[in-house]
Amino acid sequence: MHKNIAFKIWLFTFIIVALGLVALYSASYQNVRVPQTVFYDQLFIVVLGFAVMFIFERVDFRRFYDLGYILYALNIILLILVLIMGRDALGARRWIQLGGVNFQPSELTKLALIVFLSRYYANRRPVLSFNIHNKITGLIRDFLFPLSMTAVSMFLIFKQPDLGTSLLMLGIFIFMAYAGGLSHKVLFWFAGICVGVLPFAWHFLKSYQKDRLLVFLNPNIDPLGAGYTIIQSKIAVGSGQVFGKGWLSGTQNQLNFLPERHTDFIFSVIGEEWGLMGSILLLVMYFLLISTALSLVKRVKDRFGILLIIGIVVIFSLQVIINVGMVIGLFPIVGLTLPLVSYGRSSFLIFAIMLGILLNLSRKELRGHIT
Amino acid sequence: MRIKTIYTLIIIGFITLILGLAYMQMIRGPYYHKLSANNRIRIVPLEGYRGKITDRNGVVLAENRISYDVMVTPQDIADKDRLFHFLSDVFQTDANKLKQTYRNKKFTPFAPVILVEDIDKAKAIVIEENRFLYPSIAVHTNFKRYYPQKNLATHILGYVGKINRAKYERYQEYGYSQQSNIGYSGVEEYYDSYLKGEQGGQQVEVNSRGQQVRILSIKEPSQGQDIQLTIDTHIQKIAEELLGEKRGSIVMMNADSGEVLVMASTPGYDPNIFLDKTKSRQLTALFQNKRAPMLNRAVSAAYPPGSVFKVPMAIAGLDAKKITAESLIESKGFYDLGGIRFGCTAPPGQYNLTKSLAHSCNVYYYKLGLMLGPDMINTYARQFGLGAKTHIDLPHEKEGHVPSPRARMLKYRKRWYKGHTLNFSIGQGDVLTTPLQLVNMMATVVNDGQTVQPHLLKSVAGEDIKKNYKGKQLRIKDGVFDSVKKGLRAAVDDYAGTAHFLDLPGLYIAGKTGTAQSAPNKDHHAWFVGYLKGENANFAFCVFLEHGGSSHNATLIARQMFMELRDKKML
Repeated sequence: MHKNIAFKIWLFTFIIVALGLVALYSASYQNVRVPQTVFYDQLFIVVLGFAVMFIFERVDFRRFYDLGYILYALNIILLILVLIMGRDALGARRWIQLGGVNFQPSELTKLALIVFLSRYYANRRPVLSFNIHNKITGLIRDFLFPLSMTAVSMFLIFKQPDLGTSLLMLGIFIFMAYAGGLSHKVLFWFAGICVGVLPFAWHFLKSYQKDRLLVFLNPNIDPLGAGYTIIQSKIAVGSGQVFGKGWLSGTQNQLNFLPERHTDFIFSVIGEEWGLMGSILLLVMYFLLISTALSLVKRVKDRFGILLIIGIVVIFSLQVIINVGMVIGLFPIVGLTLPLVSYGRSSFLIFAIMLGILLNLSRKELRGHIT
Repeated sequence: MRIKTIYTLIIIGFITLILGLAYMQMIRGPYYHKLSANNRIRIVPLEGYRGKITDRNGVVLAENRISYDVMVTPQDIADKDRLFHFLSDVFQTDANKLKQTYRNKKFTPFAPVILVEDIDKAKAIVIEENRFLYPSIAVHTNFKRYYPQKNLATHILGYVGKINRAKYERYQEYGYSQQSNIGYSGVEEYYDSYLKGEQGGQQVEVNSRGQQVRILSIKEPSQGQDIQLTIDTHIQKIAEELLGEKRGSIVMMNADSGEVLVMASTPGYDPNIFLDKTKSRQLTALFQNKRAPMLNRAVSAAYPPGSVFKVPMAIAGLDAKKITAESLIESKGFYDLGGIRFGCTAPPGQYNLTKSLAHSCNVYYYKLGLMLGPDMINTYARQFGLGAKTHIDLPHEKEGHVPSPRARMLKYRKRWYKGHTLNFSIGQGDVLTTPLQLVNMMATVVNDGQTVQPHLLKSVAGEDIKKNYKGKQLRIKDGVFDSVKKGLRAAVDDYAGTAHFLDLPGLYIAGKTGTAQSAPNKDHHAWFVGYLKGENANFAFCVFLEHGGSSHNATLIARQMFMELRDKKML
């Protein structure tokens, strides 16, 4: 059975990555704006990523349990370092150079946060008590403490500024806390407070972030500025119609109407050139990958492992849903990549590690390493 | 249980995406498809290449030249400082100045900014050669109207500019688009339909920067027709140089054919400044100049003709049989009417027609005017084309004015008195004529009543205009013109004639001087209107100086002009 699951994970990953490479080839085809080197660079990362998957398939996932808190502390240090000495690009400071390699710590945060929260919630047991003191300590331990730990990362990423990843962290926290057994009552309260705080949060946003949100509501207020990307991306996806314009034949893509089409907006290339058929194919592949991963939960008896799976599944799902959603105008533009498809080294490698962990979990189950 | 909830949420998320995609790509698909086609396909109008304008000898007065503009696409700029450093090196200007222009003109990251307009060819080549280093820059070529003779004959030529709203609304059905160039004033305006080529268009596929990727279809623009004018640039140049800084006009017309050889109006301007955006300050100065350089004083401004008006007066007197050529009228040097003394510059004595024209005796014409009465003067003046447009092929022509008691009553609700008749008789008061009208009148005189149509167009696209420019034959009694011409010649060849200066050996010139009172405290207008009998043709001409003082000044200019023309054997 495990072999089946591991095989499926490899298979779906292969298909998704292959589709991504084909799309990226088209996005950078004979182009100045998106150079062809982007494709070869990604090809290299893909090979490296598969190696990483292969390696982490053989690394006991419990190692991550041991590393959990250290990794998270390291991540916070890196996030602070990036703010101090990071490299500026596109108006944001997201990259840091470590040993000659440019690297995006906020991508690491995704993994670090999942591992951290998995370990933390793995050790938490629901407190069944009506004692007010116990209730408060329970609230702090189950909710407020992990929230504030998450908030540290969120704040540092928000400062880069990277609103999308920052909010993604909050999403991961909520889902993992929920999976970890947080009571519905607290969850609803929290949701209520978040909604209440939103108008105040507005003032902390950078003007371009405000623009993006306003443009989300009505792209036509600034069709050549902030609204340009979303308008062009919607035109691209919509004009693909059912069967698409054909590979390398998307006019929006090939004629440079789509900005950022090799990274955040790669899905618009797929939508334009492969149409609804291609879009659904890719989404189905993601869904199958996610379903397969979730099916592991039933077989893994380790609470840490279960939480890891949930964290990984949630981050995959959220990124796919938000990324595709923003490309077709269902979400504001927040700058999240499409997992395994968007061009990006750090992003791809971190997802490879996550998939490696999933693969390892599927092996563990067979060998009966159940704790 | 909780995992199932999460799983359900994920499923809902994916279903939402698929529904969203299905809506966009299936239901709204055709709509977005159309948008994407519009996105990439642009209709680029191709402006027709405007026809050339040449003078009668083929000297080019207006043509087109290639101009090069430097454009920068903001989002392709790799290193701004390096780029502007390079550009400032090429153009020998301050990089900060260029940056300032760039910032002012920058609109979106995608739209190219025209940074420097109309650069010379060598620099355009330098830019093109370095384009691989700076992919954000490009050289855009287009055709620009060019007037090689600069200030010469500007009022005849007019200028070219982008179509304005009023003209666009009027002409949009006739092949003009909002990007069209159109002629303003002069023949550029009058013959715009000949000169402008038929607009073509290109369907091009463009990328997001608006750069052309490939041409999908093309309709070639057609070239406009070249037109040739009757103007003689050499004489025109002499005339303009003689007028110099003075305000005034010289018109010379072939009295047989109606071909206008010279139509000078000063001060002039250089029409090229309308096409050079860097010269907007000069343009503003031009519009605000109190000396009105834009005004074509030969046709678009009317002035009192003064004594020149005595020519139609004499014809009226003879034709209406109020006088004969030999009738003697006494002048005391002034004429009193109703307690007002009307002056005369000619010496007192007995005047016949010849003498009255030669010496420009006012009293003779006061008395003649009273005999004729204002209505009859008006009738004759109008027969000679005064008070009406000559319909020369130029826009914005003035009619001038020939007064009458009726017109006065209609306009001012005031009665006509004999005093008005006296002023009318010597071309003062409300009489207003354009220099061209007087030339036209003189041509009719020298042709013995045969009118001609003044015109500037000689040929279109190499084909001579075979239009009959002869007008109607005025029904004036035999001998009238001979008597008047004798008087006009006497003004020149009589020792005491007002234009004796023009008695040049080898030239037969006749004519009438005029010194017209204009506004109080301002110098009089100076006129000399006459004709020259050449070997092959007769020429009617006019020298007019606005507030030029005595008619003597106009006569002097005519003398210099004809001497030069005679010496250079240009007649």
